[in-house]
Amino acid sequence: MTNKWKKKLIILTAVSMVWGLAACGSSLSEEKAGAAKQTEQDKQKDAKEQEAPAELEKVTVILDYVPNTNHTGIYTALNRGYYEEEGMDVEVIEPTDGATATLVAQQKGNFGISYQEDVTIAKSSEDPLPIKTVAAIIQHNTSGFVSLADSGIESPADFEGKTYAGWGGPGESAVLEACMAKDGADFSKLDMVISDGTGFEALGKSCDIMWFFEGWDSVMAEMNDCKLNYMECRQLDERLDYYTPVIITSDAQIESDPEMVSAFLRATQKGYKDVIEDPEGCAEILHSYAPDYDEEMLKKSQTYLAGKFMEDTDTWGEMKDEVWERYSSFLQEYGVIEKALPPSDYYTNEFLDLKE
Amino acid sequence: MKNMTRAAPLLVILILLGIWELTVRVGQIPLYVLPSPSATVFTLAEEFPTLLRHTGITVLEALTGMGISFAVGIIIGILIDAMPTFKRCIYPILVVTQTVPVIVLAPIFIIYMGFGYAPKILTVVLMCFFPIVVSFSDGLGQMEEGYLNLLRTYGGSRFQLYRIVKIPSAVISLLSGLKVAATYSISGAVVGEWIASQSGLGYYLIRAKNSYMLDKVFACVVMIILLSLLMNGLVKLFGCAVLPMKRQRPKA
Repeated sequence: MTNKWKKKLIILTAVSMVWGLAACGSSLSEEKAGAAKQTEQDKQKDAKEQEAPAELEKVTVILDYVPNTNHTGIYTALNRGYYEEEGMDVEVIEPTDGATATLVAQQKGNFGISYQEDVTIAKSSEDPLPIKTVAAIIQHNTSGFVSLADSGIESPADFEGKTYAGWGGPGESAVLEACMAKDGADFSKLDMVISDGTGFEALGKSCDIMWFFEGWDSVMAEMNDCKLNYMECRQLDERLDYYTPVIITSDAQIESDPEMVSAFLRATQKGYKDVIEDPEGCAEILHSYAPDYDEEMLKKSQTYLAGKFMEDTDTWGEMKDEVWERYSSFLQEYGVIEKALPPSDYYTNEFLDLKE
Repeated sequence: MKNMTRAAPLLVILILLGIWELTVRVGQIPLYVLPSPSATVFTLAEEFPTLLRHTGITVLEALTGMGISFAVGIIIGILIDAMPTFKRCIYPILVVTQTVPVIVLAPIFIIYMGFGYAPKILTVVLMCFFPIVVSFSDGLGQMEEGYLNLLRTYGGSRFQLYRIVKIPSAVISLLSGLKVAATYSISGAVVGEWIASQSGLGYYLIRAKNSYMLDKVFACVVMIILLSLLMNGLVKLFGCAVLPMKRQRPKA
């Protein structure tokens, strides 16, 4: 009886497997057909591109993280053909975690999105990375510490005995220590945890304090009816008003083709100016490249950031010596870096459209 | 001749390290791309006190995870062998738990369990209990019927069957599973720490990586390798303790 049953089972399994294989095969061939169609379309596209008068130069931009509203100017320039006008075929790449500066230094990409914090650290490491900042995307640091509105944590003075969840950046503890010391609190009584990618959901549960970008994380929290206390970095300490994010390139790129750097920034600037004029429309462009996000959230975030891209300046991307000096001497003071370098080692404005 | 065969693996490693060192030096490869073996060793020596502090935490998590895996593995292994229905119900689930990438699960554990040791220990358990269960239940299943029948003819109970014959003879198989699990245990803890932590080797790794100090990253990796080998060695010691025939084997 059992044997018969077993036999039946074996036959059944065999049949189902064969059937499964066949199904696989047919779906495979369908895929192949699809792929063939795709290549044909690509060929036609290529042919069209070849008809274009000038050959486009391949340019790779490596983002700092997943696409967000900081990057909309780049996507707008891409979408509206500003890069093509400058003779560039731009490809935007989302990197593996935290490798952007190294990739740009190794010339795996022409440009990268980074932060003043990262550039300062990278330039001060034992083998300094051969990179340079060529534009600030946002003029001021729009990040700060957050806690739940009803947590009673309203300033760094209240941080004692609380848990802070951050991402393990080298300057992070220095910033917290400085802010707490300024408010007369003892930094050693703060519990610091590395937790990259944890959102506002963790606030009040596994941690009390986080570091948010107002234009992104705070908007996301707000849309989920999460009320927050917000302690803006630049108001806590002037030295913390650094550029974040920035556009970097490699020294080799500047040496071999400085014209491309200028052209890239010209087109990028045009993109950001479009975003400033029409944040909601450009948020839609970003949404077409990153459809997983809630469009409403992108629009809110973009409207907030539109006022920040060129706050207190007439030239998009422009940077000041004092901002770099202040932050690098801050990091030196707290022993994060050994020696602050002259600002010209970190950045240059020479590729920006300063005449406008 | 015998010395030659013994020295061969060491020689290969030394040659590989030599090639690595030479490549970095001749090619002038910067530190943020690849540190040389000498730089790694130097940093390891320099950072040893700091690394040791983090090592304590990681080892604690790994050992606790291994302990839980061992206990759970033994119980499930016996149940699988004793009750075919249990096997049919549980085995597929066990296999499925191993198909989900740990890197997906670890952040979810943190959402549930916070930033303490628990999510890291659970990551270790997830990576370690499977080889233990499989090796042990296979060992129990592959018994020669003759021994069992002999015991049965003497009126041995089911419990005695396990205690006298099945479990002792499954230990050899269990040991190979334990070896695999022990080697994974340190990496499991590090993966957990990498996602969220305030101490441990994974925490150290993240901080070093974010500071572009690849020599520290490599030094930490060397530490992880040494610890994993040590865990593996512990299992071997355990084997010697529970298997008398291993002790008596003449040394080659």
